[in-house]
Amino acid sequence: MKLKLTASQLSLWIGQKINPDIPLYNTAYTYEISGPIDQNIFKNAFQFLINATDALRIRFYEEDGIPFQEAKDSLKYDIEYLDFSLDSESDVITDWLLNRSLEKLNLSQQVFDAVLIKKSENSYIWFMNMHHLVTDGVSRKIVFDRMNSYYKAIINDFNSFQPEYSVTYLDYVTSELQAASSKIDDDSYWSSKVHEVEKLPSFYGIHPKPNATEASRIYIPLGADRSQKLHVFLQRPEVKGWTAQLALFNVLSSLLFIYMYRVSDQKKLAIGAPLHNRIQRKFHNTVGYFLEIFPMMTEIEETDSFKSILQRVKLENNNNLKHALQDTITSEISNSFNVVLNYIHTGFSNFNGFPTTSEWIYTGHIDSNHQMRCHVMVPDSNGEFKIMLDLNHGTFNSNLRERVSGHLLSLLDAMLDDIETCISVPSLVSPTEQKSLIDPNFKIVEPTGTAITYFEEHALNRPNAVAIQGGRRTLTYSELNKKANQLAHYLHEKGIRKNQKIALHFYRNPDYIIGVLAVLKLGATFIPIPTDQAPERISFILKNANASLVLTESGLTKNLDLSANQVCDINKESSEIFNQPFSTIQNDVKTSDLAYILYTSGSTGVPKGVCISHRALTNYLLWSKTNYTINEKSIVPLFSSIGFDLTITSTLLPLISGGRIITYKENTSGPDVSLLQVFEDNLVNIIKLTPSHLALVQEKKLSSSNIDTMIIGGEDLKVALAQSIQSLFLNPIKIYNEYGPTEATVGCIVSEYDAQMHLGSSVPIGKPIDNMQVYVLDSYKNSVPQGVIGELYLSGIGLAEGYISSPEMTAAKFVENPFFEGSKMYKSGDLGRINNDGELEYLGRTDDQVKLRGYRIELSDIESNLVHHPEVDNCAVVLIKDDIHIPEDDIVNCIKCGLPSNYPNTDFNQYGICHLCTSFEDYKTKVERYFKNDDELVKLLTSKRDENPNYDCISLLSGGKDSTYVLSRLVNMGLRVLAFTMDNGYISDQAKANITTIVKKLGVDHVYGETPHMNDIFVDSLHRHHNVCNGCFKTIYTISTQIALKKEIPYIVTGLSRGQFFETRLTEELFSDDTLDSKVIDQTILEARKLYHQEDDAVKRLLDVSIFEDDRVFEKVEFVDFYRFSDVSLEDMLVYLKENVGWVRPTDTGRSTNCLINQVGIYVHKKEMGYSNYSFPYSWDVRLGHKTRDESLEEINEVIDEAEAKRILKEIGYDKSEEDWQNTDKLVAYYTGNPNLSLKDIREFAALRLPSYMVPTVFKHLNKIPLTKNGKVDKKALQNLTSVQLELETPYAAPRNEIEEILERIWQDVLQLKKVGIYDNFIALGGHSLAAIRVTARINDEIELNLPLNKIFELPTIAEYSRYIENTLMALLEE
Amino acid sequence: MNDIIINYIKEEISLESLDEIQLDEDLLGNGIVDSLGMMRLIVFLEKEFHMTINPEDMTVENFNSVRSISNYLSQSRT
Repeated sequence: MKLKLTASQLSLWIGQKINPDIPLYNTAYTYEISGPIDQNIFKNAFQFLINATDALRIRFYEEDGIPFQEAKDSLKYDIEYLDFSLDSESDVITDWLLNRSLEKLNLSQQVFDAVLIKKSENSYIWFMNMHHLVTDGVSRKIVFDRMNSYYKAIINDFNSFQPEYSVTYLDYVTSELQAASSKIDDDSYWSSKVHEVEKLPSFYGIHPKPNATEASRIYIPLGADRSQKLHVFLQRPEVKGWTAQLALFNVLSSLLFIYMYRVSDQKKLAIGAPLHNRIQRKFHNTVGYFLEIFPMMTEIEETDSFKSILQRVKLENNNNLKHALQDTITSEISNSFNVVLNYIHTGFSNFNGFPTTSEWIYTGHIDSNHQMRCHVMVPDSNGEFKIMLDLNHGTFNSNLRERVSGHLLSLLDAMLDDIETCISVPSLVSPTEQKSLIDPNFKIVEPTGTAITYFEEHALNRPNAVAIQGGRRTLTYSELNKKANQLAHYLHEKGIRKNQKIALHFYRNPDYIIGVLAVLKLGATFIPIPTDQAPERISFILKNANASLVLTESGLTKNLDLSANQVCDINKESSEIFNQPFSTIQNDVKTSDLAYILYTSGSTGVPKGVCISHRALTNYLLWSKTNYTINEKSIVPLFSSIGFDLTITSTLLPLISGGRIITYKENTSGPDVSLLQVFEDNLVNIIKLTPSHLALVQEKKLSSSNIDTMIIGGEDLKVALAQSIQSLFLNPIKIYNEYGPTEATVGCIVSEYDAQMHLGSSVPIGKPIDNMQVYVLDSYKNSVPQGVIGELYLSGIGLAEGYISSPEMTAAKFVENPFFEGSKMYKSGDLGRINNDGELEYLGRTDDQVKLRGYRIELSDIESNLVHHPEVDNCAVVLIKDDIHIPEDDIVNCIKCGLPSNYPNTDFNQYGICHLCTSFEDYKTKVERYFKNDDELVKLLTSKRDENPNYDCISLLSGGKDSTYVLSRLVNMGLRVLAFTMDNGYISDQAKANITTIVKKLGVDHVYGETPHMNDIFVDSLHRHHNVCNGCFKTIYTISTQIALKKEIPYIVTGLSRGQFFETRLTEELFSDDTLDSKVIDQTILEARKLYHQEDDAVKRLLDVSIFEDDRVFEKVEFVDFYRFSDVSLEDMLVYLKENVGWVRPTDTGRSTNCLINQVGIYVHKKEMGYSNYSFPYSWDVRLGHKTRDESLEEINEVIDEAEAKRILKEIGYDKSEEDWQNTDKLVAYYTGNPNLSLKDIREFAALRLPSYMVPTVFKHLNKIPLTKNGKVDKKALQNLTSVQLELETPYAAPRNEIEEILERIWQDVLQLKKVGIYDNFIALGGHSLAAIRVTARINDEIELNLPLNKIFELPTIAEYSRYIENTLMALLEE
Repeated sequence: MNDIIINYIKEEISLESLDEIQLDEDLLGNGIVDSLGMMRLIVFLEKEFHMTINPEDMTVENFNSVRSISNYLSQSRT
């Protein structure tokens, strides 16, 4: 009897097929019998066992790719006998057993392997390895019991032995297959459950390696004490379950959930729980694979207690058991978990009266989609529990494998100690691990001197060395020192003393540096105030810091309130300063005195001043000098804002090292382009800058630069950027990634970029500098295990003294250090983890502080300023990041069709197959019915022959292979054809030559179509669709229809590939109807075509489209897709073309196309969308067998000639450029209040109060700010609007009722948007006729209506459409 | 009601075939049914008596014997 596989078997079959050489599902057991065994009797018994057990006789094979199984009627098997009694050391046998269990089972022959091993006279091992396809945990015992019965029966009285083994595994398979085919869809319980889990958790911050099957098993004996406690615990009323086993299962699943949450930070979690599934009693004694794995789900809150989780899990498990029906598990459900908890409860008593133990031999492999399997055993004879963990090496490296048991046991112990404990409180790490995370012997070594000490040394030793160059000024160390001394004396004369605060409001020029040095020489504190600060903010700072004086220059006094502050204009008072002595001014600066105060964005709407001491500053400078090798040869540009913490490096580091500063003054208006000047001049060899800065510099400038060291700080440094910088520089360059909040002095964690080691998406931030420590802590200030995300707390000499005039904020951010009594640590609000290499990685913020082009911005700072506008009620600001640029290496292609994983809304299953391929399986046969044959084509095209004496049809000829093949075949079929070619201005010369040859050879008439508007149409198409083809297609359709109408030709034949049908005509929804009627599909496509010509775009505006005003045109001229009737493989097509037509592949386009502008479309699409516009249609070509995956990938990945693409873009007048594609991060302010508030008004208001980098780029009015369920502003929703949506004039509004929610979901899916407002216009959002088909079909399906296609264009907003649906429903009810 | 329960256990879910089941016999403790079987019994009872059994009520106390089950059912049906 030949049978298909059950769903559960099938999933094993696929897993095995993907890993053909891995013993993934070998299920090998030993039964060790302590007594003498008769070899012959055992052999006989084993043969009886085979005869009675069909599972052992099953073989598997494929026919046409479909797997089948059948049981052989008989299988003669002599069990192998091995005598190890002379070599019975346990290692030898163990090794032998392991090797044997790894041997591949040939499923087409025999699904098991069995050996009887003699260890000694009274000790035997029965080795039994079966493929998982025919066995499970329960079978292990059944096989043993059967064998035992036969063995005993042969010895005792075989004739009276009547075993009841009549129910076979294939009986079960048969009933299972029948049940599956007649099954009513009742998996909603499970599928709705798995929808709640958004993604699989990654443990310890490690993204599992795909397809990794190698694994290790670790054993965790709980020991006597803990086991005893657990026994007591299981008896507690809140823990107790139906059975002791269920209670244990509940406890362990709770424990696992909590563990998973703690090491992954994910709250919604699932665990797979295998269920023996022998529901019908008749199968209780049947050997086979019955097991199904059901998901358990829970959502964990940080504040949960062990008890609350246990209670939830208990209810969850009860509910699951209730819904555990056979064969309900789909692959979607099995993909919802990557951790499995298995309860092993089979005991083995004895074999023929001899005590027997059984071991499960671990083969070292695990299903690649399982990262962890936890097995729990029934307690042993001493009542002790044992847990086994199978850990997939794809997540768990050897280092981690050693620590996992400690983490689990920490939680278990905390739970056993007090069930009421909050699950977030207990520390996971052991005391030993703790020591490896925070060095208990850390001691600060105080640096000596201050920045001034080191500067003055250089002034003394190398007086004539150049210290500063700026504009036309050059100052030597001696000159600079003298000028600083003079200014210091002058300030002293003005009454300035040690520890007073002096604001420095300067352009970036030598005078600023002189000011800094003078203030420091006095022992006073400087406050840098950059020129782009808004006047209101400056006033605030001066008052807040209680500044004694503002030192400034003539051009900037206009920013200052002269009546309220003492101001010293150095230009005005230059002669007084000039009269001061050169001598060094005496002071007694203590290292604890403040060197400077830097103001950063504060969350309350006012900036906060961070106070940095000399010791903190000196520590940073000295460490940097040594580690970045700064010396007399170093030349550093001062080009970034002086109000920026990272600029301290460029201001002081060269001067304490004997190097040179070149100052670059900012523009008085417009954006600061000093950086470009730095690269233009190419005078410096060391530069400190932000990643955003780097993105601005042209490649050419980088490659010729003299820079040998880059210190990059201020924001996340992407590996891709570091990599491209390194490869652009001709000379070797060192790139340092420096992390540090202002509160910990410029940089306190640093890494050197290492191309070999740093392969993630961001360069790690590395390790703390001298005298600094970092702790990665959870919210209860426990150290998190290595790898787990926590908040970074900083400690050490570099910490700021606090915020000026804000003791509360200081106390909140600089907290007691629990690891070193008496010291403080700074709560950075940054998230991070320690990676496998021991380096820290930066992973974002705990709050809504953002970094924009290196500037640190508190969004709430902007918000609280904007709400001061009299006509703004409320406001929410978000940073919208452009995230389409996924590194190429992270993109995978569907293993079947090649669709890239960055195609919007793709979903790949565990085998790497995309959702389009998966769902296509369901309607594949229906799609086949849509296609027709050659005869039908001829019949159709000749059906109106009487109406036209000259032509049966127009054939669209681009000159490429597909359309040439079409034309040639049509001629071959005896049709009278007019060939039409659209000359879009970019058809290659060779393609044109091809066309001339072809039409001549085939003897057909040929016309070219032309329009002067082609370039405008291309540009419009690029704006609308990010490609050129859509616009070109529409032009072709329009002009060819005009010709057909004029010449009264009834048909136009296209050469669209089958894949392109799915891009332009067909959608999945069209095949959802069970009774597929291709007439209905054709009708829908025709309706869509009518709408297509009504869409407002460049073609409609620029060409004469009056013919489409009358619907009859669609009857007079019909479009026929050749490849709907005829199909041919690429290979056959090329052969045919060579033999019949003489077509040659054009070589002058550089690619396989015949059109020169085609690649421009691909180039722009890749830049703007991240993937080629051919990805989707080609994936359909592959799915439909028109192309192979390799052929498709080869075409999609063809190299584009960038220079040529850019040239053509310029030629046609497309205005977006590299800069638009790169710097797309922007601040967006949403506000409620007066909807008519002018953009100019609100922007000017913001500019007055905020520094220029904090003024939002986009202001968008909302009727209501969207809130999350917890009542907080739903910033995620606000971040999810695309730039097109932001440009819409309609305010965003969330759906208000169920129908609107349904519509929003459908629109999101079809239009590939993350968010849709109910007043957003369908067409403006990119909705076109194909999208209309999809949206309407889905609505009709979900609400069970039959709404017409064109309604969506008449009622193009969710709000209008939903009202229409409501009215329709009401009308139906009234009927 | 007792008969309906006993019959269902005997026919469908008991781990071994049984001739009879005592009203006070410990169903779970004596291994007559396992937890999956107990859940099937609950699904059966819900259908048979047109009621919903609260997950909170699925305790050993309410379900350890045929008698306690029928007591529980009578109570919760009123």
